[in-house]
Amino acid sequence: MEEPVDTATAILASAAALLREHTFDDISYRALADEVGISERTVYRQYPTRAHLLAALSNWIEQTHFPLPPFVTVADFRAAVHDRFRAFDASPAYAFVGARASAISPTLDAEPAYITRAIEAMLDVSASTLNRRDRRRLAASLRYFSSAMFWARLRTGFDMDAGEICDAFDRAVGTMLARLLDATWAKP
Amino acid sequence: MTGPADVPALSGTQAAILAAYAELIEEVGSDDVSFRLVARRAGIAERTVFRNYPTRVDLLLATATWIEATVFAREESHSIFDIPLAIRDAMQRYDERPELAHVVAETAMRGVSGAAPSLGRPHLERLLDAEVPSLDEVQRRAVIVALCHLDSAATWVTFRREFGMDRRDIADAAAWAAEAVLDSIRDRVAL
Repeated sequence: MEEPVDTATAILASAAALLREHTFDDISYRALADEVGISERTVYRQYPTRAHLLAALSNWIEQTHFPLPPFVTVADFRAAVHDRFRAFDASPAYAFVGARASAISPTLDAEPAYITRAIEAMLDVSASTLNRRDRRRLAASLRYFSSAMFWARLRTGFDMDAGEICDAFDRAVGTMLARLLDATWAKP
Repeated sequence: MTGPADVPALSGTQAAILAAYAELIEEVGSDDVSFRLVARRAGIAERTVFRNYPTRVDLLLATATWIEATVFAREESHSIFDIPLAIRDAMQRYDERPELAHVVAETAMRGVSGAAPSLGRPHLERLLDAEVPSLDEVQRRAVIVALCHLDSAATWVTFRREFGMDRRDIADAAAWAAEAVLDSIRDRVAL
């Protein structure tokens, strides 16, 4: 791993390391301060509340461990989501942090996630004549079923592994895509 | 969750604690509320709160379950094909209580140490098995997981946060997706 460049990042890297042994709730600011070799007050200055810490940690994990492959077509999108679900299965503690962070009341002016913009861009190109309401319905549904939340719910509530979760994802988005007429899709 | 969920029976004191905490979450705009404040609001001693809920996480999870079962209780659906209507209604109610909706959504995403992520599952399974018994196991589970996922506070959170949707649009999009899930089984009901 690269050497962290600043205090804020060093704290996140330490928190991520502690996640191997502890749940997020068990990671105290005291422990983070000791790991990084700074005062507890400095941790608070960077992350005034645990919600701030959770949001920042999730962003950092997303960038370092779950980069999203680019996609243009629906087929590429599905493949990218499958890769993500498999990556979540390989690092469940990290994926649960992502799922939690996306459910909390936003701490900052939270920008929509990159995957949201990528899905909207995909539909702009692939289904350019689709009316605005159906496009938003579809984009929101694709986004929600490709989320860490979907993975977390199926893993915890249904005891499913990545392969089964990918299959459930394909079936769900398949029903949504099937609501559109064939003529909607741009011909390659 | 959809329809009546299994919620552990609470003592009067416990119900007062959970209601007080939920009230404070809405006032403060965060679940970061001290036990002392919860105790004062419930009109009991702080040690009584600790005796019932030894840690902050215990208190939060119990409160989230209580919120789902009371504030966000669903009207019972009598058909799986009524679920989109229940989802539409649920989204509108999450929108009226945003802080509580966030708490419910977040606690369900904590893995095994969190709240049950799909409280309405048994009810959905009963409806589906009675109305469309011919599905194979994989098809059945696909319908159940998709509806469980949609019938949750996380839907409201995601649609609002990622797409800036208002109450009406969230309810519309969530119900639309649920109808899509049902498209595959619409004409397969048992006689």
